[in-house]
Amino acid sequence: MHYLGEHSFWSLLGRLFVALSFAGALVAAFFYGIQAFRTPEEREERPALGVRGAARWAYGLHSIGVLGTIAVLFIALFNHWFEFDYVWRHSSLDMPMQYIASCFWEGQEGSFLLWLTWHMILGWVLIRTAKTWEYGTLFALSLVQLFLASMLLGIYLGDLKLGSSPFILIRELPDNIGLPWTQMSDYLMRIPAFRDGQGLNPLLQNYWMVIHPPTLFLGFAAVTIPFLFAMTGLWEKRYTEWVQPALPWTFFGISILGTGILMGGAWAYEALSFGGFWAWDPVENSSLVPWLTLVAAGHLMMVVKHKKTAPATAIFLALLSFLLVLYSTFLTRSGILGDTSVHAFVDLGLNGQLLALLGFFTLGSLGIFFWHQRKMPKSPSEDAFSSREFWMFIGSLTLLLSAAQITFSTSIPVFNKLIGPEGLIPLLATQLAPPADAAQHYNSLQIPFALIISVLMGIAPFLRWKETPKELARRAVLSALLTVVLTALVAWGLELTAILYVALLATAIFAFLANADYWLRFLRGKWTAGGMALAHLGFALVLIGALISNAKKEAISTNITFIHKDFPSNENILLPLGDTVSMFPYYVSWRGERMEGHNRLFDVDFYEVDKPLASWADGERKHLKPSFQLQPFIQMNARMGNVREPSTQHFWNRDIYTYVSYADLRSESEKSGDWKEPMEASLKTGDEVFLFNTYLLHGDTLVVQDAAFDPATGELTHLDLALSLTLKGMDGTRYPIVLPYHLDGNNVENVEVELADLGIKIRFDGVKDEAGTYGITAWEKKSNDPPFILMQAFIFPYINLLWLGSILMGVGSLLAVWKRIYRSLNEGKK
Amino acid sequence: MKRSSIVLLAVVALLIGALLVTLQDASVYATFEMAKKQQPETVTVVATLDLEAPMDFDPKGSILTFQAIDKEGQHATVRYNQPKPTDFERSEEITLTGHFTDSAFIATEILMKCPSKYTDGEGVNPDIIYTDNQPSS
Repeated sequence: MHYLGEHSFWSLLGRLFVALSFAGALVAAFFYGIQAFRTPEEREERPALGVRGAARWAYGLHSIGVLGTIAVLFIALFNHWFEFDYVWRHSSLDMPMQYIASCFWEGQEGSFLLWLTWHMILGWVLIRTAKTWEYGTLFALSLVQLFLASMLLGIYLGDLKLGSSPFILIRELPDNIGLPWTQMSDYLMRIPAFRDGQGLNPLLQNYWMVIHPPTLFLGFAAVTIPFLFAMTGLWEKRYTEWVQPALPWTFFGISILGTGILMGGAWAYEALSFGGFWAWDPVENSSLVPWLTLVAAGHLMMVVKHKKTAPATAIFLALLSFLLVLYSTFLTRSGILGDTSVHAFVDLGLNGQLLALLGFFTLGSLGIFFWHQRKMPKSPSEDAFSSREFWMFIGSLTLLLSAAQITFSTSIPVFNKLIGPEGLIPLLATQLAPPADAAQHYNSLQIPFALIISVLMGIAPFLRWKETPKELARRAVLSALLTVVLTALVAWGLELTAILYVALLATAIFAFLANADYWLRFLRGKWTAGGMALAHLGFALVLIGALISNAKKEAISTNITFIHKDFPSNENILLPLGDTVSMFPYYVSWRGERMEGHNRLFDVDFYEVDKPLASWADGERKHLKPSFQLQPFIQMNARMGNVREPSTQHFWNRDIYTYVSYADLRSESEKSGDWKEPMEASLKTGDEVFLFNTYLLHGDTLVVQDAAFDPATGELTHLDLALSLTLKGMDGTRYPIVLPYHLDGNNVENVEVELADLGIKIRFDGVKDEAGTYGITAWEKKSNDPPFILMQAFIFPYINLLWLGSILMGVGSLLAVWKRIYRSLNEGKK
Repeated sequence: MKRSSIVLLAVVALLIGALLVTLQDASVYATFEMAKKQQPETVTVVATLDLEAPMDFDPKGSILTFQAIDKEGQHATVRYNQPKPTDFERSEEITLTGHFTDSAFIATEILMKCPSKYTDGEGVNPDIIYTDNQPSS
């Protein structure tokens, strides 16, 4: 059947491209495999140019498939073809165009595609540069690509679902097959649901989300390359040679993955309201862990390159880094993190396939590793205590331990699945939950590792291979002395007292100074040679920035209302509209709210005290000078829920970070509709009572207009009263009120009189006693309360050190890449 | 003893130490009843929001008081010392971290699982589409 207006052709084309990329990877793996398992002599004997050519052609087809897939998906997103399930789920008509890229990788399929693409591109770089390594690395890469492409196939083999296609049409979803509307050729015109999509998750509508995922996935893809070289090294028995071509890739991966992770932190800081850049969330952890092991691998690879022996640990770590990326993929995409993380993906029903991917590469690579381990060359002697290699080894082990601890804590949901009460082998009586205070848990365990690492980074520039001459070690003394002084100053200035923090501050400052000293004095600030020093000092700055901004993060928005002994006064300041409220060291005023696109912005003015107050009687306001304005906002999204987004004022030495933690988002008519709990009062003629803390109610006269008695019993049968009152406003305005009261038999009729202008209504409840006290009940409209918002505000001191450090670290590790490329280019010329 | 063996021993010792500390830090998923028994201890309870019971948010102190039902079907009053999370009522499941006092369960952290936020929901609901838009001809 032909469906009107449906882009069935494009859907088919997209699927063909996916199939092509799958088939291309399969064929490339086959031909590269033929070559990869031949010995070099066999390759010499049969100069199988034909095989290599075929393999490259197949890889080319694979690449066309990948590029075609991207193109079709972009075209579908760009043109809002909502008959595509992926487009319908992840985009909408009203979404700003610049976020189309974010839609692309919001779903699992899109992020697999992103990963696939980076692998494909890096594969071409390998084909151009890897020379004798091409067969092995491309063989392994094609296998990886085969698995990744299969994630996008979306075909069923019997009951087994293989992959999830981004090109599936909504009418083809298993739930919809066979429904009557799928038989209508004009279903797209008839059914309004197809006119607009679900839209992009509001949290992802942020510029960081346009650049963070591609960077992170390039980083993940870069981690794969050392794995490919290590595998090739294993099965070609080139146990130590592989580190030479793999090293630049490793540093590239360290740089890009590190930058990607910190970009994620920047996104969290800018767009999420959890109040920081790092929350030890399982998703964050699982991208940090491969980075840690990759750093360890890179350092051990340098040791192997220098010593030309004992490669086992370096190979193991290179394999492990890639396996941890796969594990991270499994954690975040299988839905296993469920209740423990806010940003895990949904279960697409691909768990089996994800486990197969993880299992195949884990068993395969570690199996080959242990098979070859006995054959690897062993170091003939122990490393000297003062040698660079010994301390690099210690550093790498520390990183590995740190990674192991993070992985262990993050994997708690996995343990539940394995040994929990409902797991495979029920060993535990109750389900384990992640640590209640994640930050405290990870910080206390990770700071000791960071301490060791930063000391090692500090002594690194002064160590030499084999043995360090004593006079070189003495050069570190200057940095050490300066460290003591600087640490004392900083700790005193910032009132940092916790021992562990001061210790980390000292070691990180030492790492920074030693590397700066080395770069400036020894290398005379030369860029090409300064990669190591810059990367190290950058990382030291990241540590210092993270430490200070976290340890001295200060909530300045404190709620001073005493609530309950169980509750500490919390960090939400109440801002009534128009009031100026003290929030040390600022005064803040919420001026109003407005809509801008989908965002409801709250304008908050910050004032500083201009000069010390002479006296309170002077009035504070005129001594306040405007300092800055912030617009924290709430992104209104009826479908996916409203999202509070922070607004931050950046100064060179601190950030003021705010977000609106509560605001009444109901419409005007909803807000003004209801009355508050009534208040009752009793007064006599001539009395005055306070009403709602704003008015004085004066009893004027009570007039009996009519009264009748039952002659037999003497009881009152009929009564008409009129109570005259005067309501006095604060500004002296008087509002006369007359309240009626009718009694007829047992029926009382006392209507409420409303003062519409004031939003008040009053009722006369009758005379209470002999003395003529009369009771009244009064209500006030809810909207009479001035509107207010609750806001949280934090000061993050010196957080810029963190960002500066991350840039230096990224640049430094790229310089290390460049140094190696530069060298090999020059060697090529000779 | 070789230096590498010493290093190896140190590593193993550290690893075991770190893992033990981790296990100690790990809280357990509990029910309200278990939480009541181990009163001052912090636990994690997976529960749902009782939408029939009154929910009160006191903006001045920013305290949210509500009723939750754990997986065993037990009700408990929960107090949360933070503003009401956006779309709290729409949550499918809430993970509460906190402890019991004599009066209520004091939550320090609430993680919500919403049907539409991160999970993509169930897509176009074919029944609704179809019944709402029966061809009129």
